[in-house]
Parts: sequence; C-alpha cells; structure tokens
Amino acid sequence: MSTQVAARRRGSGTRRRGLSLAPVAWIAIALYAAFLLYPIVQSVIQSFTDRNPLKPESSFVGFANYIELFQDPRLARSLGFTLVVVVFVTVVANTLGLMFAMLLNRSTVNYRVMRTLIFIPQVLSGVIVAFIWRSILTQNGLLNVTLQNLGLTDTAISWIGTPELATLSICVVVSWITIAFSTVVYTASLQSVPAELYEAAKVDGAGVFGRFRNVTFPMIAPGMTISVTLSLITTLKLYDVIAVLTGGGPANSTKSVAYYLIDVAFTNNRFGYSSAIAIFLLGLTALVAYTTTGLLRRREAHL
Amino acid sequence: MSTTDTPMAFAAGDEGTTSEREAEIILASFEDPAPRRFGPKSRRRILRAGGHLVAAWLVTLAFVLPIYIALSSAFKSQDQILANPLAPPAPFTFDNILTALQRPDQLVQSGLMNSILVTALTLIFLIPLASALSFWISERPPVLKGILLAVFALGLMVPPQVVLQPIVSLLQTIGLQNSYPGLILSNIGGGYMAFAVFVFVGFLRTLPSEVIEAARVDGAGDLRIWWTIVMPLMRPATATVGIFLGLWVWNDFLNPLFILGPLQGQTITTGIYQSLGTYSTDYGQLFGIMLLAAIIPVVGYLVTQREFIHGLMSGASKG
Repeated sequence: MSTQVAARRRGSGTRRRGLSLAPVAWIAIALYAAFLLYPIVQSVIQSFTDRNPLKPESSFVGFANYIELFQDPRLARSLGFTLVVVVFVTVVANTLGLMFAMLLNRSTVNYRVMRTLIFIPQVLSGVIVAFIWRSILTQNGLLNVTLQNLGLTDTAISWIGTPELATLSICVVVSWITIAFSTVVYTASLQSVPAELYEAAKVDGAGVFGRFRNVTFPMIAPGMTISVTLSLITTLKLYDVIAVLTGGGPANSTKSVAYYLIDVAFTNNRFGYSSAIAIFLLGLTALVAYTTTGLLRRREAHL
Repeated sequence: MSTTDTPMAFAAGDEGTTSEREAEIILASFEDPAPRRFGPKSRRRILRAGGHLVAAWLVTLAFVLPIYIALSSAFKSQDQILANPLAPPAPFTFDNILTALQRPDQLVQSGLMNSILVTALTLIFLIPLASALSFWISERPPVLKGILLAVFALGLMVPPQVVLQPIVSLLQTIGLQNSYPGLILSNIGGGYMAFAVFVFVGFLRTLPSEVIEAARVDGAGDLRIWWTIVMPLMRPATATVGIFLGLWVWNDFLNPLFILGPLQGQTITTGIYQSLGTYSTDYGQLFGIMLLAAIIPVVGYLVTQREFIHGLMSGASKG
C-alpha cells in the first residue's frame, strides 16, 4: 500500500494533476450572475428611467420614480398593509410557535405524530393553502355554513369581502403557515437546552415562570433569531396567498408591496417605476433583516 | 403547563424503550428531576400527564382542522360538504377524484407532469453545479472566499419580485420566454443556488481537510476529488438541499406564472391558480383537485421527514 502511494507520488510530476473544477465553478457563477446579480443591477438602472415595454425608447428621468414613490398613495397603502401583516404574523407565529413547541416537546409517538401534522401547512404550496382557506372564508364558504348550522349567525359574514376582515384573514392564513415553521424551529431549540440547567434553576427555587424566563427564554435565543428573521423576510415577499385569497381586494386593501410591484410591472407595464419599487422593497428587506438579526444576536450574546 | 411546583413525571415514561427514556430525559428538563414517587401523588401525576396529552391533541387538531376539512371534503359530495363541513365522509365517494382526473383540460395530469419535469431537471443541474462550486469556493484563499460568500448571501435575501421583471426581459432577449428551458434556467441560476451554496459550504467546513489533502497528495485533480470523495461525503447536505429545493421549486408560484405565461402548459401550482377561479363554489371538485395536487409533496414530506426536520434544525442552529 505505502509503496504504491510512494510510487504514484514519484510518478506525478506536478502536485496537481487531472481536471480542474474551475470551469464548472465558473459556469455556476455565470448563471448566478445572469439570473440574480444582473437583474438586480438592471433594476437599479431601470429605476432611473421611464422604461415601458410598449414604448421603443426609454430615457433617464433621474430620481423622478423615487420622488413618485414617496408620493404614491397606493404604495403608501400597500406599505401600511404589508407592515400590519408582517408585524401580526411575526408576533403571532413566534408566540404560538413557541407555545406549541413547549406543549409538544416530548418524544413519545403521540407527540411525534402531532409535530408531523403541525408542519404540513409548510409543505403545501401557498396556492393550495389559500384555496383551502378561501373555500372556508368566502361568503357562502364553510365557516359561514358552520356558523349558520350552529345558529350562531343569521347573515353570512364577508370574511374576505371587507377591507378590515380581508386584512385579518390574510394575517390569520399567513400566520397559520408560519406557525408550522416556527414550531419546528423552537422544538429544535428546546431540545438543545441541557436538563442540568433546569435542575439548577429548580434547586435555586425557581418556579415554572422563573425557569421559563431564566432558562428557556435565553437558551432558545439562536432559534428565535432564525424564526423571527425568516418570518419577517418571507412575509415581506408575500404573493401567492394574496393572489388566491383576495386578489389584492377589496378595493386594493390587501395589496402587499411585493404584490403592488408586480402589478405596476406586468399590468401597467411601467418597468421604470416598478424597478424603483423593487429597489425600495430590497432596501426594506435588507434593513429589516439586518436590524432584527443585529438586535436578536445581541440578545444571544448577552447570555 | 403545570402551575404549581408539585412534582410531575411522565405517565408514558414508566417502562424503558429508548424513545421513552429520551422522553423522560427531555421531560425531566422542564418538569421534575426527582425520581418517581409512589402513592396518591403518582396517580395525580399520571392524570396530569394524561391531561397534557389531551390538551396537546386538542390544540394540534384545532390547528390542522383546515387540512382535515380539505382531506375529508375530497371524498364527500357537494351536498354533504355544505350540510356539515366537519362531518367525516360517509358515504365515501371517489367521484371528485375521478371527475378531476377526467377533466378535458387534463389539469391534474399535465400539471403534475410539468411540475415533475421542472423540479427534476432543476435539481439534476443545480445540485452538482452548486456542490462543485461550493467545493471550489471553500478551496479559495480567505479574502476571495469571503467576497464570494457575501455575493451569494445576497441571493438569500432578495425577494423574487425584485428580480422577476429583469429576468423575464432577459429570457425574452435570448428567446427563451414562455418556455420550460427558460424557467429551469432561471431556477438554476437564481436564489436557489445561493441556498444550496450556503448549505454545502457550511457542511464542507465540518469535513476534515486531511481526507482531501491525502487525495491531492495522491495526485487526484479537483474534479476527481469532488466527484469521488466530496460528493459521497456530502450526502447529508445533498439530501437537505434536494429536499428543500425540491419542495420550493415544486411549490413555486411567481416564476412559473410569469415566465411560462398563460398560454403554456402550467405546473400544477399555477395551473390550479389559473383554472380554478370558476370552481370556487364546487367544493367537491376543488378539494378533489387539491388532494391530487398536494399528494406528492405531502407523501414526500412524510417519507423524508427525518432528513427534513434534521435539515431544518441544522440550518436553524447554524444560523
């Protein structure tokens, strides 16, 4: 064996022989550059033009798109809606996800089956989830049917037909999807907490609440960073649930920024202006991701 | 949860299979570490643990109620569904499934075929490319490596809407608009690549460098080391990447909708979206199609569950 190695070593003139990986790596980088980096650069450039695919020429308009952006009442409205959904979903999904994780943090078959079931909303596509909820929430949908069967209401409630209830419906449906994810992340975090810490806390006379505050809560900090940041980012780019559940209505009340941006680009054909909104959304996402990770990481570091 | 300091053991943890032992250990962590006690207290403990189990099941069932409604309604007639949406399917009917499969537009069959095609081709090209790229990146000097990883980190954060219109324009320029090659190509080159690179590079950090050095001393080239040594060692990471990207590509909505356009045959997700507006009041039909559309990802999830959750956990803990 060793003589073979020695012989081979002697036989090889250069240390590196055979085919290099570089060409494969460069193909991958080129594809990434073409389909991710270039589109971002393209968006930045277009955001300073009035580009419209229906017009042959486009010209530079300076900051006009960005000025319009800050004065656009539709964008302001969609931004307001987006922030409501993002805050609602992040708070509700992380609170309930943590509670579910604590409730289900046991390893018998029963609890494993329950955790399996709870993750299913994450596995289904947003379109399917939204169709299921739409058949529950529409005017003659299954929720109203049930409420009427039980004699709780006489008139059908318009769960996705009025701006306030439609906003609430979107919040609930997106939370439902996100809770599934948070529960799994928090379960993973809880399982990494060493039992000795609880014993020590107990010896020190800490009650259930004390143990949660002083042991569980600090120890799940890394999981919380992940869960909160991902809830924020995924909710910021929300599209499919809205498309199916409300189509942005009623009266544009449930158009998220991400949804409005697609509208401006593909329905109004205003590529220039939509690019400005895209850059705005990118900045917003980066800001939110950076700030929350920073804040939550600091909490981790304080342990 | 318990509100007093009364000790509480776990009812099911009385005898010792491995998982029961695990259960006891985990439970002890937030219940009571003291050894089992006997007498009236133990009965109370068992009752409490039973109460906890009942509560956990009630919460879980309430949470998955919409899934139950969709699943049971797929096997009920419209009248049954409207009479009582929560009742189990009795009598049981396969009419919805059969009607869904006999649609003249072949929505389910062609949608599933298209989705399988797009997902499989994306993964077949993306996984080796990203894996090789990751190995290559991990062998670069620290500065270049840092820059490359920062560039790929960007891809994890960019909302797909931000790049969608430029991608559609780009595909138009190269003549691949409204085509499956166009969709697959943008799947391979887009944000998914960034995710794959992060998982692979993270995993490569955990591999002992001696293995690779030894092969290099033996005179193997990078390509060969990657294929015969790195790829087999990275199997867990490949499983994570394959499972998650498979699910995301399968469930993707935005890219298929805007890249394929309305005239092409659609993936199952966008096909349902574009065809089902009118079906929203025929619940039996709707849920029948939903069931057929959801069955592949759900079965895939149940089969790969262990790797799935494990991948999610390692991703979560790595941060």
